[in-house]
Amino acid sequence: MTKRTLEFAAAGLLLTALVVGLTVPPDAVQGDFQRIMYAHVPSAWLAYLAFGITMIGSIAYLVTSKLRWDRLAGASAEVGVVFTGLALATGMIWGKPVWGVWWTWDARLVLTAAMFFVYLAYLALRRGIDGLERRAKRSALFGIVAALQIPIVHFSVVWWRGLHQPPTILRPDDPQIDGPLLFALLMGVFAFTVVYAALVRRRMDLALIEDSLVEASRAGEDVAGAAVTAPSVGAKPR
Amino acid sequence: MVIPFGAVALLVIPMAVGIETTLLARIGPGLFWAVVLLFGVLVTQRESGAEGPPQRDLLTLLGVDPAARFAATAIANTILVLVFEVAVGAIAIVLYDPDVVGWGWIALVLPLVAAGLAMLGTIAASVTTGLGGRGALAPLLIAPIAIPIMLGAAQATEGLRVGAGILRWVLVLAVVDVLLMLAGVLTARPLEES
Repeated sequence: MTKRTLEFAAAGLLLTALVVGLTVPPDAVQGDFQRIMYAHVPSAWLAYLAFGITMIGSIAYLVTSKLRWDRLAGASAEVGVVFTGLALATGMIWGKPVWGVWWTWDARLVLTAAMFFVYLAYLALRRGIDGLERRAKRSALFGIVAALQIPIVHFSVVWWRGLHQPPTILRPDDPQIDGPLLFALLMGVFAFTVVYAALVRRRMDLALIEDSLVEASRAGEDVAGAAVTAPSVGAKPR
Repeated sequence: MVIPFGAVALLVIPMAVGIETTLLARIGPGLFWAVVLLFGVLVTQRESGAEGPPQRDLLTLLGVDPAARFAATAIANTILVLVFEVAVGAIAIVLYDPDVVGWGWIALVLPLVAAGLAMLGTIAASVTTGLGGRGALAPLLIAPIAIPIMLGAAQATEGLRVGAGILRWVLVLAVVDVLLMLAGVLTARPLEES
């Protein structure tokens, strides 16, 4: 699939998800506030997916030493930070009318915010390192260490039993959600995932150009001793 | 230098939250762990005598494995963080007068927390070696990842205070320590090479 096709598909799916999310019946208890979940849940899902992809890209770079894996890890982290921020923001907007507060010290909220900061630190680290290979290796290693906390974030709702909504769809028994609402939610998840793929692909292209610029600027730098010409055997003195 | 810094933090915080004795006794353990997290990581960012390029090269020539060097640095940092915890803990007890119970468990939790912070700090120090702005970057890398350690420690001491079982929190700390140990050992060589 070409980039342009993917981007058109992302835009179309996003529009469809928006229409579906706005036209399905309101939730019996939460009313229209529940519609925020059609953006919140997909964003939260993509936060996990993006950081999982960052970990996969990091491992793949360490195994293959190919910079495109590093670019994938970096691009996915950047887009992941955006979606994590969106998940936090939509969660707060939903929380105020439903829970009565913008923010609560629930374990999953706190750890999602922590994840946000972990990957901001990851991006800060990437910007601070000179040299493509050096940057790739160090950020890959930190990316893997940081990803170790994702399972802790995911299962924290079980471990700490906070205020946060327990899993609604991914339950061992039947999903506790009505059919049309579930469809709108899944539509949102699918659309956001395609948007994520389109953004990451575009960002990787940009990263390739940035890396090429770095390489080009390096190639243009004077090398120590470059002014010294090698003596040629048998050459006549001028 | 870091111990007085932590002590000052313990002294200043009540001026922000209030100086009621009952309140401070209640939140004292939590404040203690917050100070340990935020200031204890500074201990791990010190540069030891073996950190300079000539010393590193010498250790490499001697065939010392990077994983062994990670372990040695982490153990040294653990001892330093533990000393920090004990010193600042004594100051917190004097200032806040919390009801300390379960000394046996505390004797287990303190080194687990110290080891976790020390390993995290050692990894972060390796990742940020030679980078500009390292002083701000390393704590930014450490603090969010250290939250499970913070939660485990705080919930353990709170459990002791109310007489609840704390085994699961001790296990959380142990699991985090094991994960960090694995991460530190496995990343030591690639970090060395970068």
